[in-house]
Amino acid sequence: MSDRIFGGVGLLLAAFFIWGATRIELSFISDPVGPRTFPIIIGAILGLASLAVLARPDAEPDWPRLGRVAEIAGAVAVMVAYALLLPELGFVIATAAASAILTWRLGTRPLWAVVSGVLTALGIYTVFHLILGLSLAKGPLGF
Amino acid sequence: MLATSPIRRLASAALVALGTLAAPALAFEPEATECIAPANPGGGWDFTCRQVGKTLQDLGLIPGTMQVTNIAGGGGGVAFAEVVNKRGAENGLIVAASTATATRLAQGAYPGNTMDQVRWIGAVGADYGIVAVAKSSEINTLPELMDRIKADPRSISIAGGSAVGGWDHLKVLIAADKAGIEDLRTIKYVAFDGGGEAVTQLLAGSVQAFTGDASEAKGFVDSGDIKVIAVLAPERLEGDFGAFPTAREQGIDAIGANWRGFYAPGGMSDEAHAYWVERVATVYASPEWKAVMAQNGLAPLDLSGDAFRAFVADSIASIAEISREIGLIK
Amino acid sequence: MDALASLADGFAVALTWQNLLLALVGCFLGTVMGALPGLGPSNGVAILIPLAFTLGLGPTEAMILLTSVYYGAMYGGRISSILLNIPGDEPALMTTLDGYPMAQQGRAGEALALSGVASFVGAFLATWGLVFLAPQLVKVALLFGPAEYFALFVLAFATLGGIASRNQAKAAFAAALGLGIAMVGVDGQTGVPRFAFGEVHLYDGIDFLVAIVGLFALSEVFIFLEHRGEDTVEGHASKVGIGRVIPSGRLLARCTPTMLRTSLIGFVAGVLPGAGASLGSFLAYSMEKKLVDREGTFGKGDPRGVAAPEAGNNAAAGGALVPMLALGVPGSGTTAVLLAMLLALNITPGPLLFTQNPDVVWGLIAALFIGNLMLLAMNIPMVGMFVRVLLVPPRILMPIVAMVSFVGIYGISGSTFDLLVMVVFGVLGWVLRKLDVPLVPVILGVLLGNLMEANLRRAMTISDGEWSALVASPLAIGLWTVSIVGFVLPILFGRVLRARMGRRKDEEGAVSD
Repeated sequence: MSDRIFGGVGLLLAAFFIWGATRIELSFISDPVGPRTFPIIIGAILGLASLAVLARPDAEPDWPRLGRVAEIAGAVAVMVAYALLLPELGFVIATAAASAILTWRLGTRPLWAVVSGVLTALGIYTVFHLILGLSLAKGPLGF
Repeated sequence: MLATSPIRRLASAALVALGTLAAPALAFEPEATECIAPANPGGGWDFTCRQVGKTLQDLGLIPGTMQVTNIAGGGGGVAFAEVVNKRGAENGLIVAASTATATRLAQGAYPGNTMDQVRWIGAVGADYGIVAVAKSSEINTLPELMDRIKADPRSISIAGGSAVGGWDHLKVLIAADKAGIEDLRTIKYVAFDGGGEAVTQLLAGSVQAFTGDASEAKGFVDSGDIKVIAVLAPERLEGDFGAFPTAREQGIDAIGANWRGFYAPGGMSDEAHAYWVERVATVYASPEWKAVMAQNGLAPLDLSGDAFRAFVADSIASIAEISREIGLIK
Repeated sequence: MDALASLADGFAVALTWQNLLLALVGCFLGTVMGALPGLGPSNGVAILIPLAFTLGLGPTEAMILLTSVYYGAMYGGRISSILLNIPGDEPALMTTLDGYPMAQQGRAGEALALSGVASFVGAFLATWGLVFLAPQLVKVALLFGPAEYFALFVLAFATLGGIASRNQAKAAFAAALGLGIAMVGVDGQTGVPRFAFGEVHLYDGIDFLVAIVGLFALSEVFIFLEHRGEDTVEGHASKVGIGRVIPSGRLLARCTPTMLRTSLIGFVAGVLPGAGASLGSFLAYSMEKKLVDREGTFGKGDPRGVAAPEAGNNAAAGGALVPMLALGVPGSGTTAVLLAMLLALNITPGPLLFTQNPDVVWGLIAALFIGNLMLLAMNIPMVGMFVRVLLVPPRILMPIVAMVSFVGIYGISGSTFDLLVMVVFGVLGWVLRKLDVPLVPVILGVLLGNLMEANLRRAMTISDGEWSALVASPLAIGLWTVSIVGFVLPILFGRVLRARMGRRKDEEGAVSD
């Protein structure tokens, strides 16, 4: 069943891709092939491959229980929040927090998760900023 | 601080000699300085930031070191938007720019952004365009190349290192326009990833001509593998390229300068703006920078403050005009 | 033997204490950066440019430092590929295919040591190639016009069917997905935005590092989260043992022909500007699989499947220096950065570099030999240290991997948007893994999509839309023939045969599982 849904979604994606390709604006100067042809070919391959999956599905994969899906959704939320808050909070704070939450959700006790998170943040800060000299996000506290 | 002050005095003396801005400019002193390179490390903008930053620091013109931040994306558009929207009032910040910035502004490739949203500081040099053919080619002058294109546009493919509508392409179009070619769209331009790849395809015989910057072609010119048929500069260049005629000498009045320079946030204070204009002009005038220019094949382009602003406005206007003519923008 | 005399002069230049120290520092930092997901050779080199500036290094010294980083990163990429199933950088992608299965079988140490030796062999042979063949090889690069490059990329995708999992349709889907992702951004030929939805962040397209890190590293975090606390995870973790850390002579002897062949393939791919190390390791792996994988063990922890891509990508790294030094044309992202650095140091690469700046060229080549020996000497004893990473429990290790990935991406591009895209790729990677869709073709599509399209369109522009131009040269015809006869036809007509063999193999697989 999963593969049939997958094939269906793939077909939709292919259709969307080809539709998007036909809507690419052409500039007045163009080469003989143009910017649309190659994406349309790719869309067609995508569609054919999806059809093949739809026609001959593999065995059902082992989907996780709902709780675990929520767990993964939670991790995604943490990562998105991390990306958005990084410039606001500064690198060390944001990284320590995100890393602590992930460590906790992966099954470490909260206190140790916080310790691990802070150490991770400081370690990365040392290697990437102090040694390699990359500019990481600066928060209100300057790190 | 004590150690740097004599150098700073020297620097301001040099400025008086140059007749640029005077005393009030020195009232402002940034706490920390930053240069944004609107691309990943290792590219042209990154080097502009790093080399100017290093020279500023070596000459003691700025307090401490200049932090270089890379904000890649959108061909410089992400950094431009960031400076306009989020960092519009910072006084310690400058951003590397070049002809590519002007080209994208002219073609509206930074959606919603215009050159008036930022303050322009100054140029630190220019890389002039060249048109070249393989050494075995029968073509010897720019008018000959243009005549062939006029006679049969399909017979000549020209390779360059930028996309269609990018600077390498526009240079050929400017030259062709001046040479009296009516339909610029018939010119066959093949876009490669950078000048080096384009020259290689010229050597491989896949294309008949090459358009690029003087510095990109230097190695092949020295070795005699390619023949420069025109330099798109107002006068002959110094050094090795002095042997090659300008397009103007050949009766085609085309100039294509890939300049490098800086802009700053639009909300920067007048004092801070004056400070940066003066500092960058001082770098430009220094012997240290002359050495960097010689190393990088940059030709002189001495513009700062208002003169630079007017120059950028001009180049945007002319790029917009030619882009409209060939239908790249409406 | 001019070359040998020049090389001796080069060693005189390179063998100073300062240069040896620079090479050592470069090799070490390179290995570390190569191993960290999100930092690859090109970023690694770029990151150290300011250091070269600050130290005020001369051209020879700066190039010794940076090329050591380059070679080091090529060595380092394999470490996370083997231990974590996360390619440290894009050329190490193929090493995950057999390296991680070997680690799961408790042979992590062996895989690391073997891949270290393979890296050495590839880089060592490539450096000799650089010494003797650079001028001649430049002519090979000139044989490749747009049509020939297009045929080469077609060949790369044609071989995909061979390396992919059981389901060819899913491999094709993955490749098309990758190619589709590569289409996002401003079209390099005409400058019009495609699939960017007016979002300026998408105009530069999607960085392949963002895709790799998202698909491999973040999805790995999700997988662990999914199986947290289950027996499989614990069993899994304990099963990943260290094993022996020195490969046996028998194993090395068995892999030697593989290493020699793939070094050659990788080197040639590296010499072609516009192909590069990733293509080198990819072709090395798939050709080798085609040639020697009679029992179908590739992809299940075959040591030869570890040796092949590592010899291939390190040979390609050496090969990529040929067009950079001899033509001034970067064949990869890393050599583009090196080239920019050379220009900034007043060295003009090009046909005359070997005569104008022999001290730089030969000093650099000598430094490559030295760096290579250092890397081998450093990497074999450090295998024991690397594998200890596996002793860190995943619940601690995985968040660190995730955070390092984020920082690697953010530190380079400074873009929050890239981080969000990476999370999207992480989720996508997890879903694709659940559905048994291979991830390697996705990355291959992202890496090669634009080049493939650009060369097709360049060829068509030059020929005025005459499609026959694609098969106009003997070289192009040769490449097309290999793709079709070697890879496409067997898939179409070998189905019956393979189905029969596949059934037998599945039975065997069930027994050994």
